[in-house]
Amino acid sequence: MIAIVDYGMGNLASVQKALNFLKLDNIITNDEIVIRNATSIILPGVGSFRTAMENLSRLNLISVLEDEVLIKKKKFLGICLGMQLLASLGTEQGSSKGLGWIDGKVIRIHAEGKRVPHLGWNEIHFKRNGMFNNMIDKNFYFIHSYHFVPDNPDNIFSTFNYGCEMVAGVIKDNILAFQFHPEKSQNAGLFLLKEYFNSEHA
Amino acid sequence: MLKVRVIPILNFNGFGLVKTKQFYNPRMVGNPVQAARVYNSRGVDELAFVDINATKQNRKINLKLVKDVISECFMPVSIGGGIQSIEDINDLLRIGADKVIIKSKALTSPNFIKESVEFFGSQCISIALDVIREGREFIILNDFGLKLNALEFIENMQKIGIGEFVLNCVSSDGMMNGFDIGLINALESSIDVPVIAVGGAGLPVHFAELFKRTKIEAVGAASIYHFTQYTPLDIKFELIKNGVPIRMTS
Repeated sequence: MIAIVDYGMGNLASVQKALNFLKLDNIITNDEIVIRNATSIILPGVGSFRTAMENLSRLNLISVLEDEVLIKKKKFLGICLGMQLLASLGTEQGSSKGLGWIDGKVIRIHAEGKRVPHLGWNEIHFKRNGMFNNMIDKNFYFIHSYHFVPDNPDNIFSTFNYGCEMVAGVIKDNILAFQFHPEKSQNAGLFLLKEYFNSEHA
Repeated sequence: MLKVRVIPILNFNGFGLVKTKQFYNPRMVGNPVQAARVYNSRGVDELAFVDINATKQNRKINLKLVKDVISECFMPVSIGGGIQSIEDINDLLRIGADKVIIKSKALTSPNFIKESVEFFGSQCISIALDVIREGREFIILNDFGLKLNALEFIENMQKIGIGEFVLNCVSSDGMMNGFDIGLINALESSIDVPVIAVGGAGLPVHFAELFKRTKIEAVGAASIYHFTQYTPLDIKFELIKNGVPIRMTS
């Protein structure tokens, strides 16, 4: 069972639709017991960094997620804002602390002559071998105004180009997260979700 | 590299899909759920669904129908029509809309847009502009008797922090004889968020011309898909031939 964490930051229906299509058991929840009983966890999300952290804290989900992901090492997938929250620091609407699972900060996109938000389909480049190596179509759907800059380049799983190279995915042990929306990226996204949740990786 | 977006637009009148010419004479062209299914299977980059009568008829958009449309789509979907409140936006996002398109309410109540951006974030708030030329000026066509200079309105919306503009060139709507490149360039040069240009596509070559002669990265169209044999894939082939960065699906 995959727990899709519901913390009032949108986008859940689409994630569930994609998992249902792939026949992956899932539940949208913010219930501690359900999250503790799940085998994997998805942290989706769109909206502001600060509000998201406030919501996670208000729902008492931070320590639950830390137990399940950092200690019990459950398979974890962060999507969009759910990736950015892994950083130690966010800078949207003033500085705010993130989950801090992957050292780094989230800053606004500044790319000469480029529109913000970075909106649309962009090709990603994997920085590591292994998972997803046999993907043919590497175009995914992005929509974001901020991007994650990890302190340690070893945590960079994939990148995209938008005026300069930016991070499309981060990885650390059992944690994988993407800036783009696999659930909105048609066959490429469905393939990626299927590979990840059906793999032994974690 | 970011690819350009080719976006079919479904205009809904409360009963079925329609297509207008210069915003008049709607013709019935089909069922939205079926259309969404076909577009999903053809790998379009995004889909827009707009209830063009909701505001005029003072009714809410049909959430059940919108949900059925979205359920066919594994690509992003923007929904517009009759949005008056934070609750309306929340209803649409909850059933899986990625962006909402707001038009009338942005003209009459910029404060509402500010509130929406603060509440939901920039990325899901798109603003539609129906632009016409009046002498040397560009103004926004509206039903409220407001005289709105398009450039001033655009600047105001950007200050508020909206995420995208849908730029409707009213005089080329449904005419199918090409985009209004002059109008698009005149407005685009003062826009730093993404823009979807709409109005005038009749041949694949019109799309290539749009991307070669403007800095636009997204295009919306309806008539060409309803009234010709061309599909979004034909458009994409034409764009590839012209060296425009485009996503081809496997």
